[in-house]
Amino acid sequence: MSRRTNGYRPDEAAGAEGTVGADEGALSIETAGLRLTYSDGTEAVRDVSLSVPEGEFFGFLGPNGAGKTTAIKVLATLLKPTDGSVFVNGFDAESEPRKIRESIGYMAQEIGVDEELTARENLQFACTAYGVPRSERAERIEGLLDLVDLAEVADQRSEGFSGGMQKRLDAATALVHRPPLVFLDEPTTGLDPKARTRLWEYFREINEEGTTIFLTTQYLEEADQLCERISVILDGEIVATGSPTELKQQVGGEILDIDVETDGNDGDTDGDADERSGDETEADPREQAAAVARDSDLFEDEATVERSEDGISVTSQRARSRGTDLLVALRDAGLTVTGFNVRAPTLDDVFLAITDGEAPETVQGDGLSGKDEAPEARTAPDGGQRR
Amino acid sequence: MSTPTETAETAETERGERTTEREVRRSSNSFLGDVWVNFKRWNIKAVRNPFVLVTSLVQPIIFLILFTQVFGAVATNAINAGAGSISYETFLVPAIAIQVALAAAVTSGVGLVNDIEEDVFEKILVMPMNRGAVFAGKSAAEILRIVVQIAIILGLGVLLGAEIATGILGAIGIMLVGLLFSIWFLAYSNILAVLTKDQESTIIGANLLQFPLLFLSSAFLPLGSLPNWIRVVAAFNPVTYGVDGARALMLDQDVMTVLDVTAFTGIWNTLVPALLVLAVLDLAFGGIAVFLLTRATSSDAK
Repeated sequence: MSRRTNGYRPDEAAGAEGTVGADEGALSIETAGLRLTYSDGTEAVRDVSLSVPEGEFFGFLGPNGAGKTTAIKVLATLLKPTDGSVFVNGFDAESEPRKIRESIGYMAQEIGVDEELTARENLQFACTAYGVPRSERAERIEGLLDLVDLAEVADQRSEGFSGGMQKRLDAATALVHRPPLVFLDEPTTGLDPKARTRLWEYFREINEEGTTIFLTTQYLEEADQLCERISVILDGEIVATGSPTELKQQVGGEILDIDVETDGNDGDTDGDADERSGDETEADPREQAAAVARDSDLFEDEATVERSEDGISVTSQRARSRGTDLLVALRDAGLTVTGFNVRAPTLDDVFLAITDGEAPETVQGDGLSGKDEAPEARTAPDGGQRR
Repeated sequence: MSTPTETAETAETERGERTTEREVRRSSNSFLGDVWVNFKRWNIKAVRNPFVLVTSLVQPIIFLILFTQVFGAVATNAINAGAGSISYETFLVPAIAIQVALAAAVTSGVGLVNDIEEDVFEKILVMPMNRGAVFAGKSAAEILRIVVQIAIILGLGVLLGAEIATGILGAIGIMLVGLLFSIWFLAYSNILAVLTKDQESTIIGANLLQFPLLFLSSAFLPLGSLPNWIRVVAAFNPVTYGVDGARALMLDQDVMTVLDVTAFTGIWNTLVPALLVLAVLDLAFGGIAVFLLTRATSSDAK
């Protein structure tokens, strides 16, 4: 159990890194030059240096195969790093792995519950394995069963549970010993939205009680909702770190989406604007609109203009103040605006900006939805520097 | 907002003050405690899944009944070779007890593969338990099951007319011989499991050996009535030592023919060498299994 009881947030002290005292700047995770190369030569993690202060809700974000799971397995002592130092809860992963195991909770990407045992038996096993004092076990198990909403099925074998129920049971078994640090490897992958929201609430709750959380995810929405600080990992390297707000600021302003009327002959069946050949695009109202936006001085060269599915999308610090002027300019150019919207950038925009090395085109939906081809499909024509 | 602290140097020099060791309030794990919790888990699983328990009994029971009925009359002559009046039931029951140990030990590796496939294995690896204790607890549960199954076979044998010349103590002795015998095959099936990480391969790999081992030994007929080459193979076959040990207790006679030991008296001339051979075998196979399991559970990048 964490001894911290107030709402202390360690990152407030981070400005004065060299001088912080013993307790207030304590780090849960500290790695330097972490590298992991598999025996087949795959460099899953290269030179990752991380510092996660106690009590932080930290997000590790990246597409499939970026090295998230490998990194989390190293932190959880399941893999030995090829190079670099790893300290978790103050213990050296190399010399004191068992101390680390005692003081962390780990929820793997795959559900690890014994289906032949009941929910309660799974928790009992974990309690004994983690050395929960005997006198506290019964009460703690009841508390956890309530928390993850499995009290009513506590004595049923978990093989009959739905994916969401098993996932919640899995989470509970990782928390029986009230670890000050919890690793969650893509905890909500494959869950329906309702189950996902419920798990989120739960994670927030234990974080508010002082537990440090290290979460990997490919759902940008999830990181945005939960994390105080995020590192984006790509091809085994950290390419950006910051709060969700800071990362969004890197996109360069707000985004103005404008839909224009395209006479319904845009052949938009595949939904991919990039595949249109050059001669057709000249007549495309979307191209005209983009040209109008680019040629106008409204945004003083600070805007990025992209064609979207139904129109254009302008990213600029002045998107809000100059938006109406652009709408007028479009009307003057003979185009019919059918809809418009100014929005703050999402982490999707950030992610695509980072992975493509330039501002994003249209992004819809709630995230990359777990598919590696998602950013691929949106890669800018110049190819960027991906792989 | 915190600046991303991504420099190794600052982390290095300030560790002393900046990271506090975080210990969870817990009662410490003892080796025996870790063994116990795993023992309990595998026992619950065995009871929940009686299919495993039953299937590893079915084949030996079929053997026991068919062999006594079909070969009984013929075999009795071979056994008694002139003098004596041992029934084939009595002769066969120790062999069937060893067969049960063989058949049941296969499931040990299968259980391990299941754990790996269902990702329970990895979860156990992040728990602060002694890994030797994890496997010791699992093996203990399986050995207990084998002993119970041998007891069932002995009971059934007695029902069919077999006699245990050394009585209740001898019956317990037979279970202990079966226990000692099962360890090397248990280890072998775990070796298969770790190497193949596949259920089918583990089952096939272990079952493939079962029949040759049984038939090329003293299990079903006295070695004296078998071709010479089988006698040679049987001398190197662990089943011979398990069966001879159990049979010595069953008949209260020195039955071993592959080794001529006379240093002791009566059945000890069979029991001592048999148990010694099995113990050495257990240590050898157990050692290989522990080595492979340690390698598989260590955190080196694979």
